[in-house]
Amino acid sequence: MSMIRTEHVSKKFGHLEVLKDINLTVENGEVICIIGPSGAGKSTFLRSLNQLETITGGQIFIEDELFLHREHDKTVHSVDKARQKQLLLEMGMVFQHFNLFPHKTVMENLMLAPMTVKGMSKDEVEPLAAKLLSDVGLSDKADQYPSKLSGGQKQRVAIARALAMQPKIMLFDEPTSALDPELVGEVLNVMRRLAEEGMTMLCVTHEMGFAREVADRVVFMADGIIMEDSSPEEIFNNPQNARTKQFLQSIL
Amino acid sequence: MKSKALKILKSIVSAFDVRRWEKKSKIIAVTLIALFAVATVFAAIKPSEQELMDKASPQIRQELIKDETRSRRHVVITYNDLYFINYASFTTSGVNSISEKYVGFAGGVYHADEGAWNITGQFINYTYRMLGCGQSMLYGAKLTIVLTTISIGLGLILSILLALGKISKNPLISLPCRAYIFFFRGTPLMIQIFCIYLAIPGIFEGFSWRSLFDSDDPEGVFKGAFVAAIIAFTLNSAAYCAEIVRAAVQSIDKGQYEAAKALGMTYGQTMRKIIIPQSARRMIPPVCNEFVMVLKDASLVFVIGLMDITTISKTISASGSYLVFIPAMVIYLIITAFFTYIFGKIEKKFSVYE
Repeated sequence: MSMIRTEHVSKKFGHLEVLKDINLTVENGEVICIIGPSGAGKSTFLRSLNQLETITGGQIFIEDELFLHREHDKTVHSVDKARQKQLLLEMGMVFQHFNLFPHKTVMENLMLAPMTVKGMSKDEVEPLAAKLLSDVGLSDKADQYPSKLSGGQKQRVAIARALAMQPKIMLFDEPTSALDPELVGEVLNVMRRLAEEGMTMLCVTHEMGFAREVADRVVFMADGIIMEDSSPEEIFNNPQNARTKQFLQSIL
Repeated sequence: MKSKALKILKSIVSAFDVRRWEKKSKIIAVTLIALFAVATVFAAIKPSEQELMDKASPQIRQELIKDETRSRRHVVITYNDLYFINYASFTTSGVNSISEKYVGFAGGVYHADEGAWNITGQFINYTYRMLGCGQSMLYGAKLTIVLTTISIGLGLILSILLALGKISKNPLISLPCRAYIFFFRGTPLMIQIFCIYLAIPGIFEGFSWRSLFDSDDPEGVFKGAFVAAIIAFTLNSAAYCAEIVRAAVQSIDKGQYEAAKALGMTYGQTMRKIIIPQSARRMIPPVCNEFVMVLKDASLVFVIGLMDITTISKTISASGSYLVFIPAMVIYLIITAFFTYIFGKIEKKFSVYE
């Protein structure tokens, strides 16, 4: 069973065509890294999966269920509201700029969504949140406000916050791009462990080392299309597409 | 000796410096409470009108009787509860003009047109009249404070709805909100007060602001006017606060909405739990500003027969003395300093996370 499948997904901002015909299947438990030059539409693609952007055309399947079908900026088919909410909750998202809630403590950041969205009681959420915090190694920061944390710590809290909703798939939108170089490692370690635990992950990243080591598949995107989609060894050692070669040469 | 006096003067001036109140708030609170306690004690031992007259010198008593016959009106003595020293002023015209010729002070009656009493007596007398003329203590200041606090409070609640409405993408919601803000910011507050006080009873026959209260209530007319004033000020300040709220809400990073949406929160939940609490902190300085503006605009209630600090002092100045504006300013300064301090405290409370 595939977790997410997209068919002919396109997205236009006015006349600018950011995504053109994206077809991607994410299998259960798979870790996929999306790489590519800036402006390739990587982030837009990720954001259109959980409806932060609305696609202009194409189909999105979640767990083999047609989630959304749009053509020419008009909705052809969409699952009903309740089911839509349910399916969206299966996706957790981590942002480049963390987007923690600054007016809540770390613990409150973790507990807010499960309590308001899922209606869980504080007693139910607290042990879960405490465990997630200790998993990312920040138990001692539970009562701190995000402004007191370093970038790496913020991102780890953001990952824990997304995990608190118990998603089946995690979307990472350049999670280490806003971090100081020496803080990247701690975030990647958390992601690596998450991958080892079998979480389905879709990461837009510029960390080639991480992609090579952790990813099951690496997708190279440029100009709104998927140029190459194969195993990390293939992509990094023996790229087929000319654009991929050019991109890898320029960054390595 | 000189430097000591300078030191005392400096400490008095610094007591009015709001920025330094953070450290001194406790001292000031204790001092105020002590002053009130002393005032209560002195107020309790104030002499009756008869006692005061008995202690007046025979010469003054004669003059008072002469005054009475000349103006063919009774001499009325009103007490000033405000000062720790007993003080009485004498109304010789009987209507609304108080003679400053005599000052009752510390259990005696003295001439108010000679020496230091001239200034002190008038100063005390004007302040006293400004604060209520014996109607009720601090009448004008109370009206200003109550009117401003209630209308800013209610206006803020209304303004959040208006601001969210104005931001809304649905034209059915945003257009009426835009129109409301446009209308109330584009018309003078005084005319809005007139409209609400006069036009509404004109439109709805049988309704009058007076009829909201018991017909036996002698204060009913004023209470009715006060309700109308609160409604007018609330509607007006809501329009101004709505712009403050809108600016604050729109200043919140887009990422906060996205994070909330990605976590499955609805628009309402996002607003209530994420956006409004964060924008609340950013709203406080401009809302404090708006509060002070409304505090001063409160004098407009004179058009419907209510008296606030400004109106009362203006009325008194019409009878000749312009000294009255000094205590008026001092009262305003005390009120605004107090509320600026309160808003600062609230802001600090909201900023713990920064």
